[in-house]
Amino acid sequence: MTNVMSLSTHTTASGFLLPSIHSAPPFFTQQPNPGTQAIAIEQWTRLILTYARHRRLFVLRVEDAETTGNDWDEILRNERINRKLLPPYLSHILSAMVAKDLAVYEPPRQTRSVLLYWRSPDEWAETLHSWATATGQLNTILTFYDITDPPIESELTGIPIPLLRKAISILGKTGRAQMIGVADGEGVRLFAGGR
Amino acid sequence: MALRRTTRSVDGTIPVPALLYKDEEIYVSQDGVGIYDGAQKSPNHQAGTVFVTTHRLFYIDSKSPYKHSFALDLSHIMQTDYYAGLFKSSPKVTLHLSGNSTTSGQGTTGDDEAGFESWECEVCAYRNPPGLSPAAAAVCGLCGVPRTSVPSSTASVTSQHLSSSLPSSTASLTVSRSSSSTGTPSFDEGSSSIACPACTFLNHPFLRSCEICSTELPPPTHQPRRAMKSAPSSRPSSPESDDQDPTAPRIIKVSFRKGGDKAFYAVLKRSLKSKMWESNGIGTSARGLDPRVEPHDQNTVGKSGITGILRTVESSAQGRETGMLDALQDLEALMVKAKDMVRLAAELNEKLTAASASGGVQSTPGLASSAEPEEATFIRSSLSQLGLQMSNAPVTLDMMKDERRWIEELARELARVLQGSSSPPSKERGMMKDRGVIALDEVWGGWNRARGVALIPPSTFLLVLPHLPHFTDPPVQARTFASGLRVLHTPPYTHSAFSARLSGMLALTGPKTAMQVAQMEGITLGLAAELIAAVETDGDICRDDAAAAIGGGGGVSGGGAEVMWWANVFVGYTWDGQQ
Repeated sequence: MTNVMSLSTHTTASGFLLPSIHSAPPFFTQQPNPGTQAIAIEQWTRLILTYARHRRLFVLRVEDAETTGNDWDEILRNERINRKLLPPYLSHILSAMVAKDLAVYEPPRQTRSVLLYWRSPDEWAETLHSWATATGQLNTILTFYDITDPPIESELTGIPIPLLRKAISILGKTGRAQMIGVADGEGVRLFAGGR
Repeated sequence: MALRRTTRSVDGTIPVPALLYKDEEIYVSQDGVGIYDGAQKSPNHQAGTVFVTTHRLFYIDSKSPYKHSFALDLSHIMQTDYYAGLFKSSPKVTLHLSGNSTTSGQGTTGDDEAGFESWECEVCAYRNPPGLSPAAAAVCGLCGVPRTSVPSSTASVTSQHLSSSLPSSTASLTVSRSSSSTGTPSFDEGSSSIACPACTFLNHPFLRSCEICSTELPPPTHQPRRAMKSAPSSRPSSPESDDQDPTAPRIIKVSFRKGGDKAFYAVLKRSLKSKMWESNGIGTSARGLDPRVEPHDQNTVGKSGITGILRTVESSAQGRETGMLDALQDLEALMVKAKDMVRLAAELNEKLTAASASGGVQSTPGLASSAEPEEATFIRSSLSQLGLQMSNAPVTLDMMKDERRWIEELARELARVLQGSSSPPSKERGMMKDRGVIALDEVWGGWNRARGVALIPPSTFLLVLPHLPHFTDPPVQARTFASGLRVLHTPPYTHSAFSARLSGMLALTGPKTAMQVAQMEGITLGLAAELIAAVETDGDICRDDAAAAIGGGGGVSGGGAEVMWWANVFVGYTWDGQQ
């Protein structure tokens, strides 16, 4: 189907290229038709994850659609067409993402806030291992702080602890990591692996 | 004795409901009661049943109902006491009766007849039905004018009651029944007539102008009725001999040997309070409703004049309606019986078939075969005319043919209503001349209005609809929306046609509100919304709700314009944003 409506992509202040559908008002309305709605959710999921990776955002809350001035303004609102995502719709999108394992409710047992998996925990595990390998920190004890806030910024900078824990436990299953209790909290020792 | 003087003997072998006045109703009954006349037990009234009605209290003796049953007018009761009973003493209700007697043995029968018989109102010539209570019979049921030549007994009851609130003066004020029981009207027609000053015609006292020459009449000279009643000449000649002290309390006690006293007493009190015997019967045709609801209303609101007549007509209409409902209930009962009728008819049908089969072998085949279908058809068709269907026997071809022809005729007629007659280029325009789609209820209403008589029930209407496309040009079809709304529509409004048109329009001219679509299509907003919703269900269009506007949405472009319809922007979309 062709549209005379000129829907065009748009580059945001943060340098993110918004898809053209973001400038279509129906994109911000929950569609009663299940087929249409499925496509809309798919596009929203992709938009959220792409933007999260672009900005290195890990958490999305329903409140982000209720307030302005937060990290998500660029995609949850479109001033050019005077549309914003309403909280109930965002909540619905989040639940769809959780159902597809593209996000997880964090903290658990609530549905207002999710941890976004723009990289899956498996991918994060590999990232962690290759970072430790690259920086020569295998077989040494690393605190979580050492990983989330290294002296030289890495891909893991700012990773939420729950996500980091998941990544470590995945590495632990293949014998490439070991959780160690240290004086001021928890630490991990990473091994070359392959055993 | 209080008992003998205040009560009236009735024939207890007649069931109590048959003894009632037309506007009287039984409230409660209690068996196993005895009567005390004053302080002593009344020997003849020791086992019986009491009934309380709107007007009277009945005692029906169970041993000799013919001899010892009696009725007591509630209007005689001045006061009641209740005694709960103690040990072997049964609970009792004491009735204090007004001092004087109004009935005496034989005189009652004549009065009763006078009160009961039907009479014609002298003012409006309305034939008043018999059987009303004395108070109700005293005034005309239609115009509410008091009955002039009514036997005085009825009036005395009324006046007696009015004065009963003044116990000390009752005896002197009220008229003894015995004095008037001769049956002669106490009101002399001739003496009170008004002679016309112009033509000397003797006019009825209630007339204001002469019946013959319409000259205004002088006001009537005679005194009002009530004053006449209390005139000394009509006083009781002598109070009845009383073997008791005349000042002794005149009481009757009802002793409840089998209980039920509390409920009985409550109902008695209520009946006494409502004073139904005072009500003159206007509006009593609406008696099916609870007569206790507004007895005072009936008394206070005008019961004479035009208002009264209107009220009477109104209430009798109400009564008729109640009666009608009752009749319909009978019909419902008949419906319950319908199954039996069908079964019976089926059996009969089988027998006929069997008989004709055996007869066909023996007698002339031509005769039997022609006789059988006729009878069987008669049974079947009469059943189907009653709306009953035999499940095992199919409707005969004849009937089928008839019905089909009928339905087709109806369809042809409906087509004319919808599209106007096609043969001459008439000015007559059908309901769908300008509209491609129309709601079914509107069609049904319009058709029946056009018919005027012999209205079409919805069930038949629905039967006609499938035949409609054959008689309409362009063919008109029925369609049911998801909401359950049913419409008739022309080909441009089939789902596929409208869907294609709407999608194309949205794609070409941009998003639209349902209002704009309705305007462009020339249909109502409701129908447009239904049509659009059907297209949305297919996923050909999508919606943009103004509630999602940053400013809070809604109300900006006015109510009803909140949802904009878009061609479906999602279908076929491929990601063109950041990778």
